[in-house]
Amino acid sequence: MTRMIGTLAAAVAVTLLAAPASAATKIEFFFPVPVEGKLAREMANIAKRFNAEQSDVEVVAVYTGNYDETKIKAQAAMQAGKPPAVALVSANFVLEFKLNDQIVPLDPFLAAEGTNKDAFLADFWPALRANATVDGKLYAIPYQNSTPLLYYNADLFKAAGLDPEKPPQNWAQLIDYATKLTKKDSERWGLMMPSEYDYLGWLISAFTMANGGSYYNSSYGGEVYYDQPSTLGAVRFWDDAVHKYRVMPEGVTDQKAVSSSFFAGNAAMVILSTGTLSFVRENAKFNYKVGFVPGNLRNAVPIGGGSLVTFKGLPEDQRKAAWTFMKWLSSPEQLGSWSRFTGYFAPRQSAYALPEMKAFTAQNPDALIAVQQLQYAQPWFATFNTVAVRKAMEDEVQAVLSGKKKPEAAVKDAQRKADEIMLPYVQSTALTVGTGG
Amino acid sequence: MPSRILARLGPAQIGSAALLCAVAFVWTTPFLWMVVAAFRPESGGSRDMASLLPPLQPTLANFVLAFESADFALYYLNTLLVVSGILAVQLVTISLAGYAFARLEFAGKDILFTLFLLQLMLVPPILVVPNLTTVVRLGIYDSLLGVMAPYLASAFGTFLMRQTFKTIPRDYEEAALLDGARWWQVLWHVLLPLARPGLVAFSIVSVAAHWNEFLWPLMVVNAPEKRTLTVGLASFAAGAEGGQEWGLLAAGTLLVALPLVVAFLAFQRQFIDSFMFSGVKG
Repeated sequence: MTRMIGTLAAAVAVTLLAAPASAATKIEFFFPVPVEGKLAREMANIAKRFNAEQSDVEVVAVYTGNYDETKIKAQAAMQAGKPPAVALVSANFVLEFKLNDQIVPLDPFLAAEGTNKDAFLADFWPALRANATVDGKLYAIPYQNSTPLLYYNADLFKAAGLDPEKPPQNWAQLIDYATKLTKKDSERWGLMMPSEYDYLGWLISAFTMANGGSYYNSSYGGEVYYDQPSTLGAVRFWDDAVHKYRVMPEGVTDQKAVSSSFFAGNAAMVILSTGTLSFVRENAKFNYKVGFVPGNLRNAVPIGGGSLVTFKGLPEDQRKAAWTFMKWLSSPEQLGSWSRFTGYFAPRQSAYALPEMKAFTAQNPDALIAVQQLQYAQPWFATFNTVAVRKAMEDEVQAVLSGKKKPEAAVKDAQRKADEIMLPYVQSTALTVGTGG
Repeated sequence: MPSRILARLGPAQIGSAALLCAVAFVWTTPFLWMVVAAFRPESGGSRDMASLLPPLQPTLANFVLAFESADFALYYLNTLLVVSGILAVQLVTISLAGYAFARLEFAGKDILFTLFLLQLMLVPPILVVPNLTTVVRLGIYDSLLGVMAPYLASAFGTFLMRQTFKTIPRDYEEAALLDGARWWQVLWHVLLPLARPGLVAFSIVSVAAHWNEFLWPLMVVNAPEKRTLTVGLASFAAGAEGGQEWGLLAAGTLLVALPLVVAFLAFQRQFIDSFMFSGVKG
């Protein structure tokens, strides 16, 4: 027993004191695991590769939970005086980090290299640029990105007399196909979409945009358009799919239930992130196909995913090291390799011109559909206090999906709640102009 | 003989036994599911993931994958260090503080004790930033000591020990004092042995709480080699946009929970006695 305690004490001492001596600037890279576990291992490998390639900077890859926990940890660490050098954050949190004055603009780094924001962003897909910039300055580099995508079971299409080469193009067809594919008594649903927090807000904004709307003001963090006709129409579509046409299950469905039902053949069409593509490819035991998310007035999808940011309050050497690492991570080669590993699309257009990427897309043509849909992509919902404002709408739509509320009342209540949440910001910005305090 | 026992029981007893079995089944369902899923071969998108029936061909593949995914040996060691380190210091601090509040007379004792109890009302997440700031100032950020630091004193434990000491008649102490014992000798030789059930009950609550804790270790620790079991498990099991590898997740969760389950089964009788004695509920 005494010996065991001795061993434990020695182990404590080793664990508490161990610190490798090295001349390189050591920086921390906070990353969440938004897709699945093997990505955490791959991320550790990426850091290892970077450390081996050069000797000035040593990166420690720190796993920090999911996107929300990463945000909590980064902000807590920053307030405690230990800001992470680089963090991979949800792309729509960038605005909030900036409004809280927690991240720094990247323009000075670009200027030092004789370039500027516009030249740097030119290679990135246009839809990604808005979420990376705030007030005309670059605050984030897109790293892993996604859009919603329609996945469908081609075998079930054939059985229902539908052409598997022709996915539904608009909402009317989507409902029509779903009706044909639905089997009574919940045996099979024609259409399933995730309606848990975060996913629901993302998809409702997708339907609003496809309905011609804007959902939120992409250049000012104090306005959302929840009670506008384009949003109301989107919520009505979901409500009708559940309660009128009965092609979608009632209540709140999470994305795990959606993907499991799809694999089990209990859902013929599903709308999920392009980030799920690798997972579907590995697990679908039938002929699956992918298509654009059907539009109503137009084709439109929001982007999603994560961006790299660097925090305020770093010592000078770490600040420089952070930029070196961010630049390396966002090179076309690195972005392409991460895209092939994960299923996210690469944010740089030039990544798709690389030989390895061409070989990959030739073998997996469905990966290109996600990229082709990018021509219709729009920025991602971001406001002051993003999460609370997003939930104001999600709570109401979930009530609609559960049959407790009508779309008209729901969008009005959502708008009122969102306005209340954004009021402090609105009063300190837009409403102070010209009032003389 | 079961049939003879059944014959002696009235219908009311059989009914309540059946009801208890049903409740027990509901309570153990998640655990049963985890065990079954951990041994089920990966079934591509989990077609039968909800099934409670054991797989026809059980496999250890999920455990192999779990061990490959994360350095479990290291995470066990880290968690063990954190849990035992916290407990060792806690037992000293709560015994001394409990003794002070139970036996000593000093100015402001009641106010101080109320303040102590008020800590129990605070929700841990609101303390994340202040605690992290303190940990950084102490220079123990990103270390296992930092994970332990906020828990080295325990309001709950102090309260429990104070109540336990108060139930012990003063006669024992007075006898010891007459024999010339000092206060610390009284505490060590007289009070603590009599307070054992309270200490055991507190230890169980403390070990279970810190074994399962996620948010605070996630906040303090950065280096991968200092991860605790919960953080390590999440690093390969969390999923948001992809589907879930249910088998792997179940195997990993089983590995994390197993030591506590085994310990509970082994010391079941002592645990229940302690809880009955001290009136603590888990």
